[in-house]
Formats: sequence, structure tokens, C-alpha cells
Amino acid sequence: MSFHFIKDQDFPAFLSGLIKARTVVGPVAKTSRQQEKFVFARLTDPAALRLDYDVTILPPKKEFFPPKQNLLLFDGPRVTPGIEPEEKVLFGVHPYDMKALDMTDALFREKNEDRNYTAHREAATVVVSSVQKVSPRAFWASIGTEVKPKGHDAWLTKVAGGCVYEAVTAKGEALLQHGKFAAASEEQKKAARRADEEAARQCPEKLQGTSASNAKKVRAAFSREELWTKFAQDCFSCGSCNTVCPTCYCFDVQDWWHVDQNTGGRTRTWDSCLTEDFAKISLGAGAQENFREERAERFRHRFMRKAAYLNEKLGGPACVGCGRCSAACTADIADPTAVINSIPEA
Amino acid sequence: MPTTTCACGGKAAAKDVKDNIFLPKEAKIVRVEKTTEMERIFTLRLADESQMKFEPGQILEVGLMGYGEIPLGLASSPTREKTFDIVVRSVGRVSQALNRLQQGDTLLVRGPWGKGFPLENLRGHDLLIIAGGIGLCPTRSLIQYALDRRKEFKRFILFYGARDPQQQLFLADLADWRKSQDVEYHETVDRGDPTWKGNVGVITSLFSKTKIDPGTRVVICGPPIMFKFVIRELEKLGVARANIYLDLERRMKCGVGKCGHCQINDKYVCTDGPVFAFSEIEHLEEAI
Amino acid sequence: MAKPKVAFFDFTCCEGCQIEFTNYGDPVFLELLKHVDVVEFREAMSEKCREPLDIAFIEGSFSREADRPRLEEIRRRAKVVIAYGQCAATAGINALKNHTSDYRKFVYGKDAALPHLDSQIAVGVDQAIKVDYYAYGCPVNKYEVLQIVSHLLHGKDPVIPNYPVCVECKRRETICRFDVGDYCLGQTARAGCGAPCPADGIPCEACRGFVDKPNHEALVKVLDKRAGMPKGWARHKTRMFTANQRGDVK
Repeated sequence: MSFHFIKDQDFPAFLSGLIKARTVVGPVAKTSRQQEKFVFARLTDPAALRLDYDVTILPPKKEFFPPKQNLLLFDGPRVTPGIEPEEKVLFGVHPYDMKALDMTDALFREKNEDRNYTAHREAATVVVSSVQKVSPRAFWASIGTEVKPKGHDAWLTKVAGGCVYEAVTAKGEALLQHGKFAAASEEQKKAARRADEEAARQCPEKLQGTSASNAKKVRAAFSREELWTKFAQDCFSCGSCNTVCPTCYCFDVQDWWHVDQNTGGRTRTWDSCLTEDFAKISLGAGAQENFREERAERFRHRFMRKAAYLNEKLGGPACVGCGRCSAACTADIADPTAVINSIPEA
Repeated sequence: MPTTTCACGGKAAAKDVKDNIFLPKEAKIVRVEKTTEMERIFTLRLADESQMKFEPGQILEVGLMGYGEIPLGLASSPTREKTFDIVVRSVGRVSQALNRLQQGDTLLVRGPWGKGFPLENLRGHDLLIIAGGIGLCPTRSLIQYALDRRKEFKRFILFYGARDPQQQLFLADLADWRKSQDVEYHETVDRGDPTWKGNVGVITSLFSKTKIDPGTRVVICGPPIMFKFVIRELEKLGVARANIYLDLERRMKCGVGKCGHCQINDKYVCTDGPVFAFSEIEHLEEAI
Repeated sequence: MAKPKVAFFDFTCCEGCQIEFTNYGDPVFLELLKHVDVVEFREAMSEKCREPLDIAFIEGSFSREADRPRLEEIRRRAKVVIAYGQCAATAGINALKNHTSDYRKFVYGKDAALPHLDSQIAVGVDQAIKVDYYAYGCPVNKYEVLQIVSHLLHGKDPVIPNYPVCVECKRRETICRFDVGDYCLGQTARAGCGAPCPADGIPCEACRGFVDKPNHEALVKVLDKRAGMPKGWARHKTRMFTANQRGDVK
């Protein structure tokens, strides 16, 4: 672990060097009707990188677990796996998203390791960037605080006059060669810590209670149907909350043919447990069984998953407080702070 | 044989191919038998002639490229070497395509996955298997096992319930079991027909036919509604919840504990199950 | 083995969905023709057919009782009938007229009284004959149609999404119309199109109809609250493509 400093005026050259040497993915702006939003995209122009972004529409997991991914391709009876990992630098991941990445790492790795994810993940160098601008629905400072961001290769923090770059792994260290770095002073390191603390203070939303107390009360509320029915009254089952979630990792698998009718593929696509058909099976003769038929049941399932079910496995809740679901829900009923705070203690 | 086009170099490619949990193996259809209007029994052998290694109660993902995969409980015992059986009920896209296949055709299998029946806790005790409808298929792996290793168990009792006589599966097996000294076989149908001479009634009506010791190990597989009623009977008999095993059905799409469709609480039925001790899941909402 | 015979028929519609079938480009279309035998398709050929069919694509709504015998005749001849496009599936935009009494005068002016303009309530063709599969959309998504055909050629039921357009917008990181002060019907609209409209800055109008269980009341609320529609509009907004799927269906 080593701390470095790069001056503001040297930063563009560092990025240019990096982009020349490696595939670099980072936050860039996207606009509609003059409204600015952010997405992770491949960088060609260093000036496009927006480390002052508040939150991206989709979390960075899409780099390793894309919305659509071919698991297998076939040509008649010949079956080919679709794993083709690309070495890349994922630059500017916010700490809350890093926590989430570490969770999806663990979930794809456990039991039966899924190389379709882990091979891509291992080929990447991930550089965290401290939050410079807090998004309007963020609550990352008050959820799962016992779980710290890990799994990153470097951590970049904007301070006066430049950035502090903490190289955490050899992969993170290797990026230093592309820029003009000096050793960071104690003062600069302190300034970086202060910047993180200041950003945390600015989170506009707050989850009350501890991870354990919230897990307990959410679980205890399971059978309170009236509560979930009320929460889910305006739910569209549209899956937006799942689809933008950095810790959601469910997927559907479908096969398809090319027009030649001989070649094709088996493709996984992000799936959402909020959508009506998620837990439906056919029983034959037109009969079906849906294990979560009511939208209140599906709404509840998401909160159980986020606040309780996975806590043991992940060491904390499967929610990192990015606020994407709150912002993506047009009915504004998905906000974990609003829902969990309103559930009475068990 | 499957090949790879991995771009990450020879060594990594080999690892990726070998470790790709979605890459299926070819299996040849040795025999296929239409057992009811809806179901076919396939006897399979891996195309590379290797032995399929599995535990009774484990699942396989079975499919065809272009169609997809479905989770199926292995329907034969690993003690019957060389081949293995599955039963396909025509209910959806994949099963309908599978049921068009003939002897000599090839299909794709992936697995085995999940935890099967806990043999270590079953051995040395009375064993009661309660199978309803298509629930006979996965439990047949244990039935065959118990018959092949009869000495490992004390009493061996089997309850089988079908909707009507036409829905009965494995007719040759049923005929054997009716005569067998090795298994106390009791059967029932919900609705009889003029040819049916046996018991008519729901599966719990079979409890009156024999005496069950409270120390019996019990395995249940059937439609979701059946579990509740059967468990109620077992509780009356004083069977411990830790000794009641349920073989659950869910939408086990990936089979490897990732895709999320079969979750119950923090459990993935495909990897943590499909066999669960009742004591393990009784507190989990949505389990039964 | 003989190639499956495919034919197109049109009823009350603009025939735009049939045009979509000619928009694949030569390589794809010529490849497709290796696998199916198109025996009637008036957008691209003059031949008519009388023979039995494997797949009949029916475009357009059922809006004249006089069309029933022709629909029944197609059904008798075809192994598989596909309601092709939103008009055939649910009467789509045609069903707007079910809610107005003066449309003839409004649309046709002095010709309003001409007898061939006589029609009844517009409904999907499944109100006249049994339909096996639905290709939704105004127009259809030609790539989805290709998958429907491919699936049928392999004896597999096509996979048609029953989740809303929001899912597809999010997957491609489209800025939500509500975030820019616009409206959108994507929360209740059936996906499968790939959500091209919001990606181009245009609201989803639910041209593929509703999902199986749309939360229409919630949509009205959100349109009222967030899209700043004049009072009363929100409730009627979805009528353009889903008049026959709403509570006030005629």
C-alpha cells in the first residue's frame, strides 16, 4: 500500500497515457433536455471523464455482468463457451459501488464459481474515486457501515491542487507509470480523509438503526401483509429498482437462433424479482404456479433480500445506499430509507 | 466435443472451459419409454462413456441448445451403474422438445447439482418415502438405492399417491414393489376408475394402513399442497422435524445458485437443496 | 422436407407491420427465404394462395362482421395463426374509435356516408378466431418476429416478454422521461421492443399494449403528479394503444 499525489495540471496527461495503454472505462455525462446524468462508458477522450459525477444510471457491475451476456454459442451440435475477458481499467468507482462490486464478487464466486463473471472481474483494474458530489437520494453514509469498501486496486481522492492516489495492489501500483506522481505528504493524506468525511456528512437521506436491528425488524414484519400491501400499492412491478441496483444479480437465460436456423446462443439477461413472472413455473396443461404471485409479495421479497436474507453471507445488508432505486422508481415507493425507517422495531 | 474460442491465452482458456458452470455435456438416449400421456422416462448414458456420479436426490439441468434447460431430479440410483434415468413431463418449451427425442438421439446435461437425500442420517433407521404425483421421479433414486442396499436400512415403507390410475408412473416398478418383500408398498389414487381395486383417497389416508415408528426417517416429495398435510400427520406420530426431509420444487433455472429464481429466503433450492430437513426450513417464510 | 408455407393477410390496418417484414435487408431476408416459403404477401408479390398454410400472419383488427368468414377460412387453412402487430393483437390504435361517435364525419368529411366505411367496434382478431401467438407492437419489432419464426420452425413456443418497458430502458441506461419533466407509459407497457423511443427522447406510448397485469391506477397517479398533465388527461392518456385493455373497454 502506498500513497501518491498527482497535481491537477498533470492529471489529463496521466489519463491520456492510461487511455493510450489500456481500455479505460469511467463515468461520463449523458444528457436529455439539458438534464445531465452519468453512465460508465469506454473513454476515448480524457476530458470526457467526470469524476464530479453524483451517481451513474447503472452501477459498474455491468462491466463484468453485462445486461445481456452470451453464456454459450452453438453451431449445430458444436457448443462454445462465450467467455472472452478483456483487460480494462474501471476508473472512478464510488466507494459505495465498490462495496457492491465486492458483494457481487463474493456471490458469483461462492459455491459454483461463475467464470462468466469472475474471469472479467479478474482481468480488470478497479480505481475507486471518492465522492465529490453527493446524489440527491444517497444514504450510503448510514447503511451497512460495518462493511468497508474492498477489492479495489487503487483509491483516488480529490484534494486541493490535485489528487491523492492510494495504490492498494500491484495492479493499482502499475498504473502509476502512466503519470507524474510524487509521494503524498501526511497533510495531503489527511486532506483526503477529510474529503471523504465531508462527503459522508452530505448524504441527504439517512437510514436509522443498525444493520442487525434493521434485519431483525424487517424479517419480523414478514407476515404483516397489510404493511406490504400498503407499501406496494403503487408498485408497477416494473423492475426498475432491481435493474439499477448494484447488488442485484438475478438473471434469466434464454436460447435463440440466428436466421440460418443452425447457429445461435444461450444468453443471460438481467432479471428482476419484482416482475410478475419471476417465480412462475408451468405445471403442464396450461396450469402454472407462481411462488410470488402478488406484487406485495414481490415487493417484500426485495426488502428481505436487501435488508435481511443475505446479511450472514455478506457481513451486512445487500444494500449500499446508492439511492438508485429511490430515484428510478417513478412512483417513489422504492426508497429503502423510507420503507425500512417506517417499519416499527420488532 | 465442445471447444473454446477464449481470447485470454491457452492456459486461462483451459481453466475457463473446464470451469464454465454453464457448459453442458452430451448424453445419449439409450432407451425412451412413454409412461403416461404427459411423461416419458429417458435412460441416458454420457456420450464420453464416463460414469455420471451423483447422489440420490440431486438434480440435473437437462436441455437442448436453442431450447434451453430444465431442472430434473435424477430418477435412478447411482447404484445402477452405466446409465441414469430422468423423467420429462411435457409442460413447457424445453420439456416438449425433449419429449420429441428418440432412442439414439443426444441431449445435453449439466450437473449433478445440489444436495440430495442425507444418506448418513437415513442409514440404520426405518425409512418412509412419501411420493405424490411426479414426486415419485426424484424419490425413485432413493427407492432404488434402498432396494439395492437394503441391509443399510431397517423397515422400508413407501407411500405413493397419484391423481388417477392413468397418472401412475413406472408401472413395471410398481408391479415389482407390490410383490416385493423388501419394501412395504402402499398406494392410493385421488380418483379411481372401474379397473382400480386399490385405495382411493388422498395420500394421508395411507397412514392408517401401517404403523410408523417415531424414530422413522421420512422423505417427502410431491405438489406443494401435499407437504403441509403430510407433515401434520407425521407430527401426530411424533416424528422429529429434523428427521423429515422435503424435496422442494422451484424454478431452478441455472442450477448453480446464481440466477435467483429458486430462492427461498437466503436459500437457493438448487444448491442448498432441493432436499431440506423440515427443521432447517420450517422458520423460512415461503418455503412450504 | 418441404419448407413451411407462410402467408400474410391484412384486415383493418395500415399494413405497416407487413412493410416491417421487408425491412430486414437482403442478407437476412434471403437467408430467411431458405427456411420458409412465402406464398402470399401482397406487399412484395402478386400471387394469391389457396393451399394449406403452416403459418398465417394476420395483420389488422377485426372491425367488420363481413370479415369473419375470411378470418375463419384462414384459420381453417393454417396450422399456426399469429396476430401480427398491435391492431391484430388488441386492435391497438384502431380501438380509439370505440370511444367516439363522430369519427366518420371527423375523419372522412363529406365521404362519411360511403357504405364501405361501415364498421363496428374494433377488436383483436382473437375475438373472431383462435390465435396461437401474438407479435405485439405498432409496428412489430422485426427482430422479435424473426425469433418468433425461428422458434416456430424448431417447434418451440416463442418467448414474449411480460415485463414493462422500464426494464429495457434501464438496461440501456436511457434517461427516464420523468427525470426531464416528460411523461411516459413505460411502467405499464409490454416490453420486447428494446425501448427505442425513450432512448430517442420520446415517451413510450405503450404501442405493444399493457403487460398482463398493469397497475393503471398507479400510472394515473404518477402521470398526474410528475408529468404535470392537465386534469383528467392522465386517466385517458393510455387510450391511444390500449383502449381495449383498459377498465373502460367497449
